[in-house]
Amino acid sequence: MKYRRFIEFMVLVLAIIFLLPMLLIVLTSFKSEAEILNFSSLLPKNWTLSNYVRLFSNHEEIPIAVWTINSFLYASTTTLIVLIIDSLAAYGLARMNLRFSKTILAIFIATMMVPAQVQLIPTYLILNKFGWLDTMLAIVIPPTANAFGIFLLYQFFKKIPKDLEEAAALDGCSRLRMFWHIALPLSKPALATLGLLVFLGSWNDFLSPLVFLDSSDRLTLPVGIATFQSSYYSEYSLTLAAGTIATVPALLAFLIFQKSIIEGIAHSGLKD
Amino acid sequence: MRRRLAGYLFILPYLFVFIPFVVLPLFIGMSLGFFQWEMLSPVEPRFVGLQQIRLAFNDPYFWNALKATSLFVLFCVPMTVILSLTIALGLHAIKQRQSIYRSIFVLPMMVNITVVGLLWRWMLNTDFGVFNGYLKYFGIQIPWTGEPGWAMLSIIMLTLWWGIGAPTIILLAGLKHIPKQYYEAAKVDGANSVRRFVSVTLPLLKPSLVFVLVTQLIASFQIFGQTFIVTKGGPNNSTRVLMHHIYETSFVQYRIGYGAAMSMLLFLVIVVITLIQYFLVKER
Repeated sequence: MKYRRFIEFMVLVLAIIFLLPMLLIVLTSFKSEAEILNFSSLLPKNWTLSNYVRLFSNHEEIPIAVWTINSFLYASTTTLIVLIIDSLAAYGLARMNLRFSKTILAIFIATMMVPAQVQLIPTYLILNKFGWLDTMLAIVIPPTANAFGIFLLYQFFKKIPKDLEEAAALDGCSRLRMFWHIALPLSKPALATLGLLVFLGSWNDFLSPLVFLDSSDRLTLPVGIATFQSSYYSEYSLTLAAGTIATVPALLAFLIFQKSIIEGIAHSGLKD
Repeated sequence: MRRRLAGYLFILPYLFVFIPFVVLPLFIGMSLGFFQWEMLSPVEPRFVGLQQIRLAFNDPYFWNALKATSLFVLFCVPMTVILSLTIALGLHAIKQRQSIYRSIFVLPMMVNITVVGLLWRWMLNTDFGVFNGYLKYFGIQIPWTGEPGWAMLSIIMLTLWWGIGAPTIILLAGLKHIPKQYYEAAKVDGANSVRRFVSVTLPLLKPSLVFVLVTQLIASFQIFGQTFIVTKGGPNNSTRVLMHHIYETSFVQYRIGYGAAMSMLLFLVIVVITLIQYFLVKER
């Protein structure tokens, strides 16, 4: 028992070390620049909202409200499209007795191995041809080709008992309605997991908005903060306040849905 | 026949994004490196064969970037595997409050790389950062991002903090899949805890460990955001990694063909590693 106590103590210490930087983002955003430049304690001596006030009152150079809306808009659109096309494809592969379903699934899964960053330049050229560069489409559409979602939903759809659909077929139910009224409701946990992972992935993506977007009023939070930080201000107080704004929604989403998110991540490593 | 067709119709919407944004980029990516193409010059792209691969091999920046990337991979990947395995074992051993601790280790993953980078750049600042702020009580000051060796160490520390969550969860899930009976049987046979770890845990955890190792290797070779924001490739280009060099070549200098050629080389490295891992697992 003593041994177990010791382990829990060590885990606790490590957990505190891991938690500290997170707290620092938030705490430091309430410090004045002067206090940040002269570090003496983790907690602010004088709590101030001035960083946030300055951040939101300077629409011209730092349109942070616009970036936040953009990030939400891009991430939720991508998530919605992925949920629709992935569940349709997974349903077709899992439930429609297609002769090549195994092969098609294998091809989709194989493409997960191709690193996104290697596809960066070709995707840029394709978006350029489509005339999509510096538009919302450049950020929203390419990541909707999400094979992990098909893989995840395929396994869920496979488990649905045949009898359920046969009974529905006898009642004259069409395939599309079976998909909508039977398969989807039964797979809510998988859909939630997939949706959250896609949303967070898009919310936190850095490279594609950096490369595919240009106009300041179309940027996402991560890239927006990075650009204003390097071009206008090198003040850490403003940066950390902006960082807090970018981080809090993701943290809230995680805290509310942590079970689904953690299951989703664990699932990526458990393959039969 | 009509039913079959209906099945393929379900897959059709996915194909609308799969073909232009997965298949097409793959083929373009494979061929682009053989073309010389400078977007800012009026000269049309022309086929130059292996010339740009040769160019990369004679480019001191490419070698420097490869060296920086390899150094990062060489230290960061084993450290990630060992640390995540340690945390997973610790979490597995404690039963109460396990999910709270687990969530704490996943939390940093939820912070996007810009914020992570800017936060650490401030924490690592030599003059007013947190680290040196506390170290000064011990009379120590460390040039965290000011010297090549320290800068690389800083990037590795940041990456460990940011990325430990996923491998930890995957290993913990793997540990939970090991049937208890094996441990009990080993205990009956008189195996001590070290022996049980070596003979039961490690072999049965191997699939998860290999998965973590491969995904970490692939991700580490593509490191970009951390160095791009925290050290900006410095000091003396010591943390200017491959993706950074490719990004600048392609999207700052707009030498698309040459950037793609280096991407191909990076892809090749990743494929070779994946294959080696695959055969290592298959053999046993």
